[in-house]
Amino acid sequence: MSLQINANMKRRYAAEKRFKAYAITALALAGAFLIFFFSDMISKGLPALQQAEILVDVHYNDTSMKSYRKAVDKPFRIIVSRGWLRTLPLHMEDHPELMGTTKSQWVIANADVDQYLKEKPHRLKKKYQKQIDHLYSEGKVRLAFNTGFFTRGDSKMPELAGIKSAVIGSIYVLLLTIAFALPIGVMTAVYLEEFAPDNRLTQTIEVNINNLAAIPSILFGLLGLAIFINFFGAPRSSALAGGLTLALMTLPIIIITTRASLKAIPDSIREAAFGLGASRWQTVWHHVLPLAMPGILTGSIIGLAQAMGETAPLLIVGMMAYVPDAPGSMLDAATVLPAQIYTWAGESIRAYEERTAAAILVLLTVLLSLNGLAVYLRKHFEKRW
Amino acid sequence: MNTPKITVRDLKLWYGDNEALHGIDVDFAEKQVTALIGPSGCGKSTLLRCMNRMNDRIPGCRIEGHILLDGDDIYAPEVDVVQLRTHVGMVFQKPNPFPKSIYENVAYAPRIHGLAENSSDMDIIVETALRKASIWNEVKDKLNAPGTALSGGQQQRLCIARTIAVKPNIILMDEPCSALDPIATAKIEELIDELKEEFTIIMVTHSMQQAARISDHTAFFYMGDIIEFGETGTIFTQPAIQQTEDYITGRFG
Repeated sequence: MSLQINANMKRRYAAEKRFKAYAITALALAGAFLIFFFSDMISKGLPALQQAEILVDVHYNDTSMKSYRKAVDKPFRIIVSRGWLRTLPLHMEDHPELMGTTKSQWVIANADVDQYLKEKPHRLKKKYQKQIDHLYSEGKVRLAFNTGFFTRGDSKMPELAGIKSAVIGSIYVLLLTIAFALPIGVMTAVYLEEFAPDNRLTQTIEVNINNLAAIPSILFGLLGLAIFINFFGAPRSSALAGGLTLALMTLPIIIITTRASLKAIPDSIREAAFGLGASRWQTVWHHVLPLAMPGILTGSIIGLAQAMGETAPLLIVGMMAYVPDAPGSMLDAATVLPAQIYTWAGESIRAYEERTAAAILVLLTVLLSLNGLAVYLRKHFEKRW
Repeated sequence: MNTPKITVRDLKLWYGDNEALHGIDVDFAEKQVTALIGPSGCGKSTLLRCMNRMNDRIPGCRIEGHILLDGDDIYAPEVDVVQLRTHVGMVFQKPNPFPKSIYENVAYAPRIHGLAENSSDMDIIVETALRKASIWNEVKDKLNAPGTALSGGQQQRLCIARTIAVKPNIILMDEPCSALDPIATAKIEELIDELKEEFTIIMVTHSMQQAARISDHTAFFYMGDIIEFGETGTIFTQPAIQQTEDYITGRFG
């Protein structure tokens, strides 16, 4: 008999080893994909943090006021960003003291010059390539930190395109989502878990909430379009419409995680409070909810992070729009980071590619920090009993 | 027996379709300790939880009959459960202090019931309750430490202090020592002996010796009925019913 056990032992150990090997292979594969993804994004996105600039003399006078291209000398007119030149008349109106002066300054270069300097595919003619090489040897062309990427909105000229309006749109949308989904979700969960009787009606509600969490997000977009835009008349492609739509989408996630964390609070705490004559409300508000808070926050943040990376429902409420100026209010046309990424990814001009990758890096950083915050909150506020 | 504090008359209780108590009649004397003994599932905890209406929380729990506290039915429709529980406090089987400071544990109930005018009032209430629960000397220097950091026996005395801070008339104890070691148990038993000067105590216990040591009256439960009820001395030395004797002597249970 012991012989038989011994023979079995070998088989058992072999099976165990095999199982371990499968698990490690799976982990290694997942890790490899992740590393590939991140290194690809970083190598593509980092160049966008630099932008080619050219040192030129800019003439601030009436001629440039009438024809902005004449603000720089002829050989520079092609290699300097036309979009930047176009802003000069307005700039001069704002700063009349500049009139009649000529200033030597660093000016944003054309996207093709930028791509040429970064040794990427470009359409810069041989003539201008030589000019750039020459200027470069004189130190009159440089790659500088691209602050414009963070301080400008979208543009049809890649050298001027930035993520500011998308970031502000994302912040508005996220704030609205938090403001609507968090209190409604938490209160619904508290009612269902702590107050509602266990009957047919509440069971039906529960099943439906669980189903809602599994609905494809684009359907929430249709719902948002029907309710918030068509019925309540919220402006199309506004942060208000998008935020409310994402709130609808996040609501079931928040309800489910909140209920789970309320369920995890031991009943002895409730009994202790009830036994002392606390009312239901006091029991929940003073004892159960504070203890469940870390779990609620973790779940909500993960739900919100998901909402922040969501594109499909926003497509339907019109937030996939070209928005060059940052929205001033919740009612203005706005776009969000993932939508901005989608728009840039569809552009045919090559210079958008690195900006797309850089915007993805920004979005990933925000999402990872949100998830990090969730982990921190859970660890920090966790109480033991 | 002096005037009963609580009178239970023909109390029947169902959990769904399952009848757990079949018409209980019993009187609990004021400022005495009454022990409820019997095998597991006999209904003693169920009866205990009827007396502060803790069973209200259980879905499908239904009650017939009367429980009179000082002559008033606690199941009458006009009775406020929250108010009832300030008169009838409860200590649970497993110590369950709130995960807050020792001070907060005791101050919580007086605060929600508005028993303290100001913070020095509250300090007095907290100190008195902790002294009465004979734990003051052990915790007076660490009132801001979490209650959950105390030992099991200290936690249970903290829970008793928390209960008496509301100044109830009656304290229900559901196997208060079952999770504690013998030394901690001895301390709680001593404390119960002191507390009966002021409170009416009804306790469920699985320890026959404990019932014999500290109770004045004992009720023996079996299968949802009270088989025998009387003075503890009589029950343990000359039980009138064979079943009681069998249980007490350990022949079944």
